[in-house]
Amino acid sequence: MLVQLKVNGELRSADVPAETTLLKLLREHLGLTGAKLGCDVGDCGTCTVIVDGESVNSCLMLAARAAGHDITTIEGLANANQLHPIQHAFEELGALQCGFCGPGMIMSAKHLLDKNTEPTVAEIRDALAGNLCRCTGYTKIIEAVVVAGRAMSSTDARP
Amino acid sequence: MHPFEYIVPSSAPEAVALLAEHGESACPLAGGTDLIVDLKHGPGNINLLVDVSALPEFRGIDETPDGLRIGSMVTFGEIMASPVCRKMTPEIVAAAHTVGAVQTRNLGTVGGNLVTCVPSADIAPSLMVLDARVTVIGSDGSREMPIEEFFVAPRKTSLQPHELLESILIPKNALGKPSKFLKFGLRNGQALALVNAAGSLWLDKDGKTLVEPRLALGAVAPTPLRATKTEAFLTGKPATDKVLAEAAEIAVSEAKPIDDFRASANYRRQIIRTFTLRVLKRSIEIAREV
Repeated sequence: MLVQLKVNGELRSADVPAETTLLKLLREHLGLTGAKLGCDVGDCGTCTVIVDGESVNSCLMLAARAAGHDITTIEGLANANQLHPIQHAFEELGALQCGFCGPGMIMSAKHLLDKNTEPTVAEIRDALAGNLCRCTGYTKIIEAVVVAGRAMSSTDARP
Repeated sequence: MHPFEYIVPSSAPEAVALLAEHGESACPLAGGTDLIVDLKHGPGNINLLVDVSALPEFRGIDETPDGLRIGSMVTFGEIMASPVCRKMTPEIVAAAHTVGAVQTRNLGTVGGNLVTCVPSADIAPSLMVLDARVTVIGSDGSREMPIEEFFVAPRKTSLQPHELLESILIPKNALGKPSKFLKFGLRNGQALALVNAAGSLWLDKDGKTLVEPRLALGAVAPTPLRATKTEAFLTGKPATDKVLAEAAEIAVSEAKPIDDFRASANYRRQIIRTFTLRVLKRSIEIAREV
Protein backbone atom coordinates (compact mmCIF):
# COMPACT_ATOMS: atom_id res chain seq x y z
CA MET A 1 0.00 0.00 0.00
CA LEU A 2 1.13 3.55 -0.70
CA VAL A 3 2.00 5.44 2.46
CA GLN A 4 2.50 9.18 2.28
CA LEU A 5 3.70 11.05 5.32
CA LYS A 6 5.76 14.02 6.40
CA VAL A 7 9.16 13.11 7.81
CA ASN A 8 11.31 15.86 9.31
CA GLY A 9 9.32 18.44 7.38
CA GLU A 10 9.63 16.70 4.03
CA LEU A 11 6.83 14.90 2.20
CA ARG A 12 7.85 11.28 1.67
CA SER A 13 6.09 8.23 0.30
CA ALA A 14 6.73 4.52 -0.07
CA ASP A 15 4.85 1.51 -1.34
CA VAL A 16 5.02 -1.06 1.47
CA PRO A 17 3.14 -4.17 2.61
CA ALA A 18 0.45 -3.45 5.24
CA GLU A 19 2.40 -5.35 7.92
CA THR A 20 5.32 -2.87 7.71
CA THR A 21 6.01 -1.01 10.93
CA LEU A 22 6.80 2.69 10.92
CA LEU A 23 10.32 1.75 12.09
CA LYS A 24 10.84 -0.53 9.12
CA LEU A 25 9.47 2.10 6.75
CA LEU A 26 11.90 4.69 8.09
CA ARG A 27 14.94 2.43 8.13
CA GLU A 28 14.49 0.24 5.08
CA HIS A 29 12.40 2.31 2.70
CA LEU A 30 13.31 5.92 3.50
CA GLY A 31 16.95 5.34 4.45
CA LEU A 32 16.58 6.93 7.89
CA THR A 33 18.51 4.51 10.11
CA GLY A 34 18.74 6.80 13.16
CA ALA A 35 15.84 5.13 14.96
CA LYS A 36 17.10 1.69 15.96
CA LEU A 37 15.58 -1.76 16.07
CA GLY A 38 16.15 -3.05 19.59
CA CYS A 39 13.64 -5.28 21.36
CA ASP A 40 10.95 -4.92 18.65
CA VAL A 41 8.20 -5.24 21.31
CA GLY A 42 7.98 -1.71 22.73
CA ASP A 43 10.14 -2.17 25.82
CA CYS A 44 13.53 -0.63 25.02
CA GLY A 45 12.59 2.69 23.39
CA THR A 46 15.49 2.91 20.95
CA CYS A 47 12.98 3.16 18.08
CA THR A 48 11.32 6.26 19.61
CA VAL A 49 10.12 8.87 17.13
CA ILE A 50 7.71 11.78 17.51
CA VAL A 51 4.36 11.62 15.70
CA ASP A 52 2.31 14.83 15.71
CA GLY A 53 4.20 16.02 18.79
CA GLU A 54 3.82 12.78 20.80
CA SER A 55 6.59 10.22 21.26
CA VAL A 56 5.81 6.65 20.26
CA ASN A 57 7.57 3.32 19.79
CA SER A 58 7.86 3.14 15.99
CA CYS A 59 8.23 -0.66 16.25
CA LEU A 60 4.63 -0.81 17.57
CA MET A 61 3.07 1.50 15.01
CA LEU A 62 2.13 0.36 11.54
CA ALA A 63 3.47 2.55 8.74
CA ALA A 64 -0.07 2.63 7.35
CA ARG A 65 -1.27 4.34 10.51
CA ALA A 66 1.42 7.01 10.21
CA ALA A 67 0.10 7.97 6.77
CA GLY A 68 -0.79 11.66 6.64
CA HIS A 69 0.97 12.39 9.92
CA ASP A 70 3.98 14.49 10.83
CA ILE A 71 6.99 12.40 11.94
CA THR A 72 10.16 13.71 13.56
CA THR A 73 13.15 11.40 13.80
CA ILE A 74 16.62 11.93 15.23
CA GLU A 75 17.73 12.97 11.73
CA GLY A 76 15.41 15.97 11.95
CA LEU A 77 17.11 17.57 14.94
CA ALA A 78 20.50 18.88 13.80
CA ASN A 79 21.11 21.03 10.75
CA ALA A 80 24.29 21.17 8.68
CA ASN A 81 25.90 23.69 11.01
CA GLN A 82 24.60 22.93 14.45
CA LEU A 83 23.59 20.09 16.74
CA HIS A 84 20.27 20.32 18.57
CA PRO A 85 20.85 21.50 22.18
CA ILE A 86 19.95 18.01 23.46
CA GLN A 87 22.49 16.35 21.16
CA HIS A 88 25.05 18.97 22.19
CA ALA A 89 24.42 18.32 25.90
CA PHE A 90 24.63 14.53 25.45
CA GLU A 91 27.98 14.98 23.68
CA GLU A 92 29.38 17.50 26.18
CA LEU A 93 28.44 15.44 29.22
CA GLY A 94 29.43 12.06 27.80
CA ALA A 95 25.88 10.80 28.24
CA LEU A 96 26.33 8.10 25.63
CA GLN A 97 28.72 5.19 25.69
CA CYS A 98 27.89 2.67 22.96
CA GLY A 99 25.22 5.07 21.70
CA PHE A 100 22.60 2.52 20.66
CA CYS A 101 19.97 3.97 23.00
CA GLY A 102 20.90 7.53 22.03
CA PRO A 103 18.40 8.29 19.26
CA GLY A 104 15.53 7.10 21.44
CA MET A 105 16.82 8.81 24.59
CA ILE A 106 17.20 12.08 22.73
CA MET A 107 13.75 11.87 21.12
CA SER A 108 12.15 11.13 24.50
CA ALA A 109 14.09 14.03 26.00
CA LYS A 110 12.88 16.25 23.17
CA HIS A 111 9.26 15.19 23.78
CA LEU A 112 9.70 16.20 27.43
CA LEU A 113 11.66 19.43 26.90
CA ASP A 114 9.43 20.71 24.10
CA LYS A 115 6.66 20.88 26.73
CA ASN A 116 8.75 21.78 29.78
CA THR A 117 12.32 23.06 29.68
CA GLU A 118 12.69 22.93 33.47
CA PRO A 119 11.69 19.40 34.43
CA THR A 120 12.51 17.98 37.87
CA VAL A 121 14.76 14.92 38.06
CA ALA A 122 11.66 12.87 38.88
CA GLU A 123 9.95 14.16 35.73
CA ILE A 124 13.02 13.33 33.64
CA ARG A 125 13.18 9.80 35.05
CA ASP A 126 9.48 9.35 34.31
CA ALA A 127 9.93 10.70 30.78
CA LEU A 128 12.84 8.31 30.11
CA ALA A 129 11.30 5.24 31.79
CA GLY A 130 10.62 3.72 28.38
CA ASN A 131 14.22 4.07 27.20
CA LEU A 132 16.71 1.48 28.34
CA CYS A 133 20.47 2.12 28.45
CA ARG A 134 22.79 -0.81 29.24
CA CYS A 135 26.01 1.24 29.45
CA THR A 136 25.95 4.45 31.44
CA GLY A 137 23.65 3.92 34.38
CA TYR A 138 21.49 6.92 33.41
CA THR A 139 23.15 9.52 35.69
CA LYS A 140 24.87 11.41 32.89
CA ILE A 141 21.83 11.07 30.65
CA ILE A 142 19.65 12.76 33.27
CA GLU A 143 22.27 15.49 33.78
CA ALA A 144 22.40 16.06 30.03
CA VAL A 145 18.61 16.50 29.87
CA VAL A 146 18.79 19.11 32.66
CA VAL A 147 21.55 20.99 30.82
CA ALA A 148 19.74 20.73 27.49
CA GLY A 149 16.56 22.12 29.06
CA ARG A 150 18.46 25.17 30.30
CA ALA A 151 19.98 25.67 26.87
CA MET A 152 16.58 25.36 25.21
CA SER A 153 14.92 27.85 27.55
CA SER A 154 17.68 30.42 26.96
CA THR A 155 17.33 29.84 23.20
CA ASP A 156 13.58 30.39 23.52
CA ALA A 157 14.18 33.65 25.37
CA ARG A 158 16.46 35.00 22.65
CA PRO A 159 14.77 37.70 20.58
CA MET B 1 5.08 -10.07 10.68
CA HIS B 2 3.01 -12.32 8.49
CA PRO B 3 1.07 -10.57 5.70
CA PHE B 4 -2.36 -9.11 6.43
CA GLU B 5 -4.67 -6.52 5.00
CA TYR B 6 -5.26 -3.20 6.74
CA ILE B 7 -8.46 -1.17 6.53
CA VAL B 8 -9.46 2.13 8.11
CA PRO B 9 -13.27 2.13 8.28
CA SER B 10 -15.00 5.49 8.13
CA SER B 11 -17.59 4.73 10.82
CA ALA B 12 -18.25 2.38 13.71
CA PRO B 13 -21.08 0.57 11.86
CA GLU B 14 -18.69 -0.03 8.94
CA ALA B 15 -16.08 -1.43 11.35
CA VAL B 16 -18.68 -3.73 12.91
CA ALA B 17 -19.82 -4.90 9.45
CA LEU B 18 -16.24 -5.69 8.43
CA LEU B 19 -15.65 -7.69 11.60
CA ALA B 20 -18.94 -9.55 11.17
CA GLU B 21 -18.14 -10.33 7.54
CA HIS B 22 -14.61 -11.62 8.13
CA GLY B 23 -15.19 -13.46 11.40
CA GLU B 24 -12.20 -14.76 13.32
CA SER B 25 -9.69 -13.91 10.61
CA ALA B 26 -10.27 -10.19 11.30
CA CYS B 27 -9.21 -8.23 14.34
CA PRO B 28 -9.82 -4.64 15.41
CA LEU B 29 -6.67 -2.56 15.95
CA ALA B 30 -6.63 0.03 18.75
CA GLY B 31 -3.30 1.38 20.06
CA GLY B 32 -1.48 -1.77 19.00
CA THR B 33 0.85 -1.94 22.00
CA ASP B 34 -0.27 -5.51 22.68
CA LEU B 35 -1.68 -6.53 19.30
CA ILE B 36 1.34 -5.64 17.17
CA VAL B 37 3.53 -7.65 19.54
CA ASP B 38 1.10 -10.58 19.26
CA LEU B 39 1.12 -10.30 15.46
CA LYS B 40 4.93 -10.45 15.44
CA HIS B 41 5.08 -13.53 17.63
CA GLY B 42 1.63 -15.10 17.29
CA PRO B 43 0.21 -17.94 15.18
CA GLY B 44 -0.43 -15.79 12.10
CA ASN B 45 -4.17 -16.43 11.86
CA ILE B 46 -5.18 -12.77 11.40
CA ASN B 47 -5.73 -11.75 7.78
CA LEU B 48 -7.39 -8.38 8.27
CA LEU B 49 -6.75 -5.53 10.69
CA VAL B 50 -9.61 -3.07 11.09
CA ASP B 51 -8.05 0.09 12.49
CA VAL B 52 -10.69 1.62 14.77
CA SER B 53 -8.28 3.95 16.59
CA ALA B 54 -9.36 7.13 14.84
CA LEU B 55 -13.12 6.48 14.58
CA PRO B 56 -14.85 9.66 15.70
CA GLU B 57 -17.50 7.67 17.64
CA PHE B 58 -14.72 6.13 19.76
CA ARG B 59 -12.78 9.31 20.42
CA GLY B 60 -13.05 12.27 22.78
CA ILE B 61 -13.52 13.04 26.45
CA ASP B 62 -16.86 14.79 26.91
CA GLU B 63 -19.01 16.02 29.76
CA THR B 64 -22.55 14.88 29.03
CA PRO B 65 -25.80 15.20 31.03
CA ASP B 66 -25.20 11.59 32.24
CA GLY B 67 -21.60 12.07 33.30
CA LEU B 68 -18.11 11.98 31.85
CA ARG B 69 -17.87 10.01 28.60
CA ILE B 70 -14.45 8.68 27.66
CA GLY B 71 -14.18 7.33 24.12
CA SER B 72 -12.64 3.86 24.02
CA MET B 73 -9.86 5.04 21.70
CA VAL B 74 -8.69 7.81 24.04
CA THR B 75 -5.02 7.18 24.85
CA PHE B 76 -3.54 7.12 28.34
CA GLY B 77 -1.52 10.18 27.35
CA GLU B 78 -4.73 12.01 26.46
CA ILE B 79 -6.32 11.05 29.81
CA MET B 80 -3.27 12.44 31.62
CA ALA B 81 -3.40 15.70 29.65
CA SER B 82 -7.17 16.17 29.95
CA PRO B 83 -8.10 19.11 32.22
CA VAL B 84 -11.56 17.62 32.85
CA CYS B 85 -10.14 14.21 33.85
CA ARG B 86 -7.53 15.85 36.07
CA LYS B 87 -10.22 17.80 37.85
CA MET B 88 -13.11 15.31 37.99
CA THR B 89 -11.35 11.92 38.04
CA PRO B 90 -7.79 12.46 39.28
CA GLU B 91 -7.30 8.79 40.22
CA ILE B 92 -8.14 7.65 36.68
CA VAL B 93 -5.36 10.04 35.62
CA ALA B 94 -3.08 8.53 38.28
CA ALA B 95 -3.86 5.02 37.04
CA ALA B 96 -3.24 6.04 33.41
CA HIS B 97 0.17 7.37 34.49
CA THR B 98 1.19 3.93 35.82
CA VAL B 99 0.65 2.21 32.47
CA GLY B 100 3.82 1.31 30.53
CA ALA B 101 6.01 4.31 29.65
CA VAL B 102 5.45 7.60 27.84
CA GLN B 103 5.70 6.09 24.35
CA THR B 104 3.28 3.25 25.05
CA ARG B 105 0.90 5.65 26.86
CA ASN B 106 0.83 7.79 23.72
CA LEU B 107 -0.29 4.76 21.69
CA GLY B 108 -2.20 2.60 24.17
CA THR B 109 -5.90 3.24 24.67
CA VAL B 110 -8.28 2.92 27.60
CA GLY B 111 -10.52 0.66 25.50
CA GLY B 112 -7.60 -1.50 24.43
CA ASN B 113 -6.58 -1.97 28.05
CA LEU B 114 -10.10 -3.10 28.96
CA VAL B 115 -10.66 -5.33 25.92
CA THR B 116 -7.31 -7.08 26.39
CA CYS B 117 -8.84 -8.04 29.73
CA VAL B 118 -5.80 -9.12 31.70
CA PRO B 119 -6.23 -9.23 35.50
CA SER B 120 -3.55 -6.55 35.92
CA ALA B 121 -5.24 -3.99 33.61
CA ASP B 122 -4.16 -0.80 35.35
CA ILE B 123 -7.03 1.42 34.30
CA ALA B 124 -9.77 -1.00 35.44
CA PRO B 125 -9.87 -0.55 39.24
CA SER B 126 -9.99 3.24 39.06
CA LEU B 127 -12.99 3.02 36.71
CA MET B 128 -14.75 0.29 38.69
CA VAL B 129 -14.79 2.26 41.94
CA LEU B 130 -16.51 5.13 40.13
CA ASP B 131 -19.32 2.79 38.98
CA ALA B 132 -18.23 3.13 35.35
CA ARG B 133 -20.50 1.76 32.64
CA VAL B 134 -19.39 0.68 29.19
CA THR B 135 -21.20 0.94 25.87
CA VAL B 136 -20.52 -1.63 23.17
CA ILE B 137 -21.68 -1.45 19.58
CA GLY B 138 -22.43 -4.42 17.33
CA SER B 139 -24.51 -5.54 14.37
CA ASP B 140 -27.67 -5.40 16.50
CA GLY B 141 -27.06 -1.89 17.79
CA SER B 142 -25.49 -0.85 21.05
CA ARG B 143 -25.83 -2.06 24.63
CA GLU B 144 -24.61 -0.78 27.96
CA MET B 145 -23.43 -2.62 31.08
CA PRO B 146 -21.59 -2.04 34.35
CA ILE B 147 -17.87 -2.36 33.70
CA GLU B 148 -17.47 -5.40 35.97
CA GLU B 149 -19.88 -7.36 33.74
CA PHE B 150 -17.56 -6.61 30.81
CA PHE B 151 -14.79 -8.77 32.31
CA VAL B 152 -15.55 -12.49 31.99
CA ALA B 153 -12.25 -14.38 32.29
CA PRO B 154 -8.56 -13.78 31.61
CA ARG B 155 -8.39 -12.27 28.09
CA LYS B 156 -12.13 -12.79 27.65
CA THR B 157 -14.70 -10.01 27.73
CA SER B 158 -18.45 -10.13 27.17
CA LEU B 159 -17.91 -8.69 23.66
CA GLN B 160 -19.35 -10.79 20.85
CA PRO B 161 -16.97 -11.29 17.89
CA HIS B 162 -18.65 -8.53 15.88
CA GLU B 163 -18.89 -6.09 18.78
CA LEU B 164 -16.61 -3.18 19.67
CA LEU B 165 -16.18 -1.20 22.87
CA GLU B 166 -17.38 2.30 22.10
CA SER B 167 -17.04 4.30 25.30
CA ILE B 168 -16.85 4.37 29.06
CA LEU B 169 -19.18 6.52 31.14
CA ILE B 170 -18.40 7.77 34.64
CA PRO B 171 -21.87 8.57 36.01
CA LYS B 172 -22.41 12.16 37.05
CA ASN B 173 -22.92 11.32 40.73
CA ALA B 174 -19.49 9.64 40.89
CA LEU B 175 -17.58 12.62 39.48
CA GLY B 176 -15.47 14.21 42.19
CA LYS B 177 -16.02 11.25 44.51
CA PRO B 178 -13.08 10.87 46.93
CA SER B 179 -10.92 8.07 45.54
CA LYS B 180 -7.42 6.63 45.55
CA PHE B 181 -5.54 4.30 43.18
CA LEU B 182 -2.32 2.44 44.02
CA LYS B 183 -0.16 0.11 41.96
CA PHE B 184 2.61 -2.13 43.17
CA GLY B 185 5.09 -3.22 40.51
CA LEU B 186 8.69 -4.34 40.76
CA ARG B 187 9.91 -1.03 39.31
CA ASN B 188 8.50 2.49 39.20
CA GLY B 189 8.50 2.55 35.41
CA GLN B 190 7.29 0.13 32.79
CA ALA B 191 6.25 -2.66 35.15
CA LEU B 192 3.15 -4.83 35.33
CA ALA B 193 1.22 -4.71 38.59
CA LEU B 194 1.74 -7.41 41.20
CA VAL B 195 -1.35 -5.89 42.75
CA ASN B 196 -3.26 -2.72 41.99
CA ALA B 197 -6.15 -1.32 43.98
CA ALA B 198 -8.61 1.53 44.00
CA GLY B 199 -11.05 2.73 46.61
CA SER B 200 -13.72 5.40 46.69
CA LEU B 201 -16.29 6.56 49.21
CA TRP B 202 -18.35 9.42 50.50
CA LEU B 203 -18.70 10.41 54.14
CA ASP B 204 -22.14 11.16 55.51
CA LYS B 205 -22.91 14.62 56.93
CA ASP B 206 -21.77 13.35 60.33
CA GLY B 207 -18.23 13.16 58.91
CA LYS B 208 -17.71 9.50 59.80
CA THR B 209 -20.33 7.18 58.32
CA LEU B 210 -19.18 5.50 55.10
CA VAL B 211 -21.52 5.98 52.15
CA GLU B 212 -21.22 4.02 48.89
CA PRO B 213 -17.77 2.62 49.70
CA ARG B 214 -16.11 0.92 46.74
CA LEU B 215 -13.02 -1.27 46.49
CA ALA B 216 -11.56 -2.80 43.33
CA LEU B 217 -8.46 -4.97 43.12
CA GLY B 218 -6.33 -5.98 40.15
CA ALA B 219 -3.93 -8.87 39.45
CA VAL B 220 -5.43 -10.89 42.33
CA ALA B 221 -8.22 -12.80 40.54
CA PRO B 222 -9.00 -14.04 37.00
CA THR B 223 -10.36 -10.59 36.16
CA PRO B 224 -10.21 -7.15 37.79
CA LEU B 225 -12.29 -7.65 40.93
CA ARG B 226 -14.95 -5.53 42.62
CA ALA B 227 -14.59 -6.46 46.30
CA THR B 228 -18.33 -6.55 46.91
CA LYS B 229 -18.18 -8.33 50.28
CA THR B 230 -15.79 -5.72 51.58
CA GLU B 231 -18.03 -2.98 50.24
CA ALA B 232 -21.13 -4.50 51.85
CA PHE B 233 -19.32 -4.75 55.17
CA LEU B 234 -18.17 -1.11 55.03
CA THR B 235 -21.50 0.41 53.98
CA GLY B 236 -22.98 2.45 56.82
CA LYS B 237 -20.08 1.69 59.17
CA PRO B 238 -18.08 4.41 60.91
CA ALA B 239 -14.67 5.23 59.39
CA THR B 240 -12.59 3.89 62.27
CA ASP B 241 -9.26 2.07 62.21
CA LYS B 242 -10.94 -1.04 63.60
CA VAL B 243 -13.55 -1.11 60.82
CA LEU B 244 -10.91 -0.52 58.13
CA ALA B 245 -8.67 -3.26 59.53
CA GLU B 246 -11.57 -5.69 59.44
CA ALA B 247 -12.40 -4.60 55.86
CA ALA B 248 -8.82 -5.32 54.81
CA GLU B 249 -9.14 -8.90 56.10
CA ILE B 250 -12.39 -9.37 54.15
CA ALA B 251 -10.69 -8.01 51.02
CA VAL B 252 -7.85 -10.52 51.47
CA SER B 253 -10.37 -13.35 51.84
CA GLU B 254 -12.40 -12.45 48.74
CA ALA B 255 -9.38 -12.04 46.45
CA LYS B 256 -8.05 -15.14 44.67
CA PRO B 257 -4.39 -14.42 44.01
CA ILE B 258 -2.16 -17.05 42.46
CA ASP B 259 1.54 -17.89 42.61
CA ASP B 260 3.34 -16.91 39.43
CA PHE B 261 6.81 -15.84 38.33
CA ARG B 262 6.20 -12.27 39.51
CA ALA B 263 5.10 -12.96 43.08
CA SER B 264 3.61 -15.56 45.40
CA ALA B 265 -0.06 -15.58 46.30
CA ASN B 266 0.89 -15.02 49.91
CA TYR B 267 2.94 -11.93 49.06
CA ARG B 268 0.03 -10.60 47.02
CA ARG B 269 -2.32 -11.12 50.00
CA GLN B 270 -0.09 -8.95 52.13
CA ILE B 271 -0.12 -6.21 49.50
CA ILE B 272 -3.93 -6.47 49.24
CA ARG B 273 -4.22 -5.94 53.01
CA THR B 274 -1.89 -2.93 52.97
CA PHE B 275 -3.35 -1.38 49.81
CA THR B 276 -6.95 -1.80 50.99
CA LEU B 277 -6.11 0.13 54.13
CA ARG B 278 -4.20 2.79 52.21
CA VAL B 279 -6.76 3.46 49.47
CA LEU B 280 -9.62 3.62 51.98
CA LYS B 281 -7.72 5.81 54.44
CA ARG B 282 -6.62 8.19 51.71
CA SER B 283 -10.17 8.39 50.34
CA ILE B 284 -11.43 9.24 53.83
CA GLU B 285 -8.78 11.95 54.17
CA ILE B 286 -9.83 13.43 50.84
CA ALA B 287 -13.50 13.26 51.86
CA ARG B 288 -12.67 15.22 55.01
CA GLU B 289 -10.75 17.85 53.05
CA VAL B 290 -13.70 18.70 50.80
